Amino acid sequence: MSSIGARSLVSILVSAIFIVAPALGQDPEGVPRTVGGRPDLNGIWQTFSRANWNLQDHAAYEGPMWELGAIGAVPAGQGVVDGNEIPYLPEAAARKEANFTDRRTDDPEAKCYMPGIPRANYMPYPFQIVQTPTDILFVYEYATANRLIHMGAPQVAVVDSWMGTNNGRWDGDTLVIDVTGLNGLAWLDRAGNFTSSRTHVVERFTRIGPDHIQYEATIEDPTLFLRPWTISLLLYRRAEDNAQLIDFKCVEFAERLLYGEFIVDSDN
Amino acid sequence: MRFRFNRLRVLAVAFAVAVPALAQTPSDYTVPRTPWGDPDLQGVWPGNTGVPMERPEDLGERETLTEEEFAERQQRLQEQAAGDLNPSDEVGIGPPSYWTERGRPVRETSLIVSPSNGRLPALTEEASRYRDEARDGRGLPGAWRGEADRPEDMNIYYRCITRGLLGSIIPVIYNNGNQILQTPGYVVLRNEMIHESRVIPLDDRPQLGTDIKTYMGDSRGRWEGDTLVVETRNFTDKVAIGSNGAGYPGSPGYHSEDLVLTERFTRVSDDILHYEATVDDPRTWVEPWTIRIVLERDDDYRMFEYACHEANYAMYDILSGARAQEAAEGQ
Repeated sequence: MSSIGARSLVSILVSAIFIVAPALGQDPEGVPRTVGGRPDLNGIWQTFSRANWNLQDHAAYEGPMWELGAIGAVPAGQGVVDGNEIPYLPEAAARKEANFTDRRTDDPEAKCYMPGIPRANYMPYPFQIVQTPTDILFVYEYATANRLIHMGAPQVAVVDSWMGTNNGRWDGDTLVIDVTGLNGLAWLDRAGNFTSSRTHVVERFTRIGPDHIQYEATIEDPTLFLRPWTISLLLYRRAEDNAQLIDFKCVEFAERLLYGEFIVDSDN
Repeated sequence: MRFRFNRLRVLAVAFAVAVPALAQTPSDYTVPRTPWGDPDLQGVWPGNTGVPMERPEDLGERETLTEEEFAERQQRLQEQAAGDLNPSDEVGIGPPSYWTERGRPVRETSLIVSPSNGRLPALTEEASRYRDEARDGRGLPGAWRGEADRPEDMNIYYRCITRGLLGSIIPVIYNNGNQILQTPGYVVLRNEMIHESRVIPLDDRPQLGTDIKTYMGDSRGRWEGDTLVVETRNFTDKVAIGSNGAGYPGSPGYHSEDLVLTERFTRVSDDILHYEATVDDPRTWVEPWTIRIVLERDDDYRMFEYACHEANYAMYDILSGARAQEAAEGQ
């Protein structure tokens, strides 16, 4: 082997080590990386926040059905809205209050409808991120909702849907997802905060350690809000050895709520 | 659902090209690898319609159509596809014609490939009895027209609960998209038909406890050579096997909670994936049976969200219609 050949070999090996090292190891913060060197978001995640009850600061309050006793009550919770204010336009604020009053029958969660974005990420159910070398799939336990994040050329939302059209990109180590084409039928929580078909959501997922993702979503909708507003919360990794999604097909538990007046049987 | 312009193009190609499908031999094809070394099955693999679940009895053990029979099937699909492009103004109960996907005609005589007559094995005595006596003698739901006192009188298809594991894959006339995604340790099968995503672990973790029954079951996968083998248990008995989870002609298709489903995914070329599923439920059928579906890769196929339950006007209409009818009849 000539000396030039040997030098080349050494430089190739050195380069190889630098390239391979991140793939095999982890960041000092314990953020695992994929073979391609991106932060690895694969895993089962779930929030501990009270956001799904109410995005804003709230004292404990009675649930929509006193028959459920304390099981149906809403625990106090620290809000996840930056500044704690949702800047509704007056008409939208009135609609939110009406939603709250009718939440037992009108919350799409009660009807087992798909949760939409961002709500799907902070419901009290786990979801799994499936990060392939090309695309990223979010699989939600609730209602077996899912959404594919297009990481290649952005796709135009050709039709509105519950889970939206999702285009992703990396901003450094943060996965940014631009969500358009939302159908506006989804709510944001059980307190009646809501969306329209003009709602545009930009999400940011940053894995900040082996067991945590910092989640942020900016919600913009000139028909509902004075200005864009942002929520942020932490997602925790479900670290049990046997952690797995178990599909929650909730339709059968919503049918009596939806069709009850036309059902003839001993339960009705 | 496929965009119309894509569908046109695919149809044009389909009718211009001969159909070798199953004739290819797996041995001369090297399956690509993922960066972590697993066989790479990723992509969108819609199924093709037009193959019946059971083989017509007069075809005996013949697995493929003759030239004449195949020409007839091509002709039929071509006519149906042409009809899809010229929708009538009549209001019907079927999906709008722009939903329909006819796919590429294939030569198989039946989805069932085992037993060798391509037909379902006999029901066990227990299963026959159960089908008559279930629900206090009302029988199992499944008839296309029947009682409508409560949601449980309708099958899971009407109720938009799920199409079931096999019903999500068996091709029908719309929403045939199947997407495979892989990460280290997992394969995910995503079905367009009612937004299913089955996350299949590839490690040897134990099965869910036997008290946990689910509509889509609990899957565990492993590689046998380049074939992905997935075994699924923990099924409820509320699912019917058959297209759309609505049974098959002559039977509502229900299985017991003891069902063990074994699927085999084999990529035989860049564009063809052989899918086989063996249904083993000794409480329902006297012997196991196997279906095979030829899945064809289609990079232009765009899967759409199927919000079936969210827009299920049919349940509301069926139940309210039944009450209105009773009222009109003075009951």
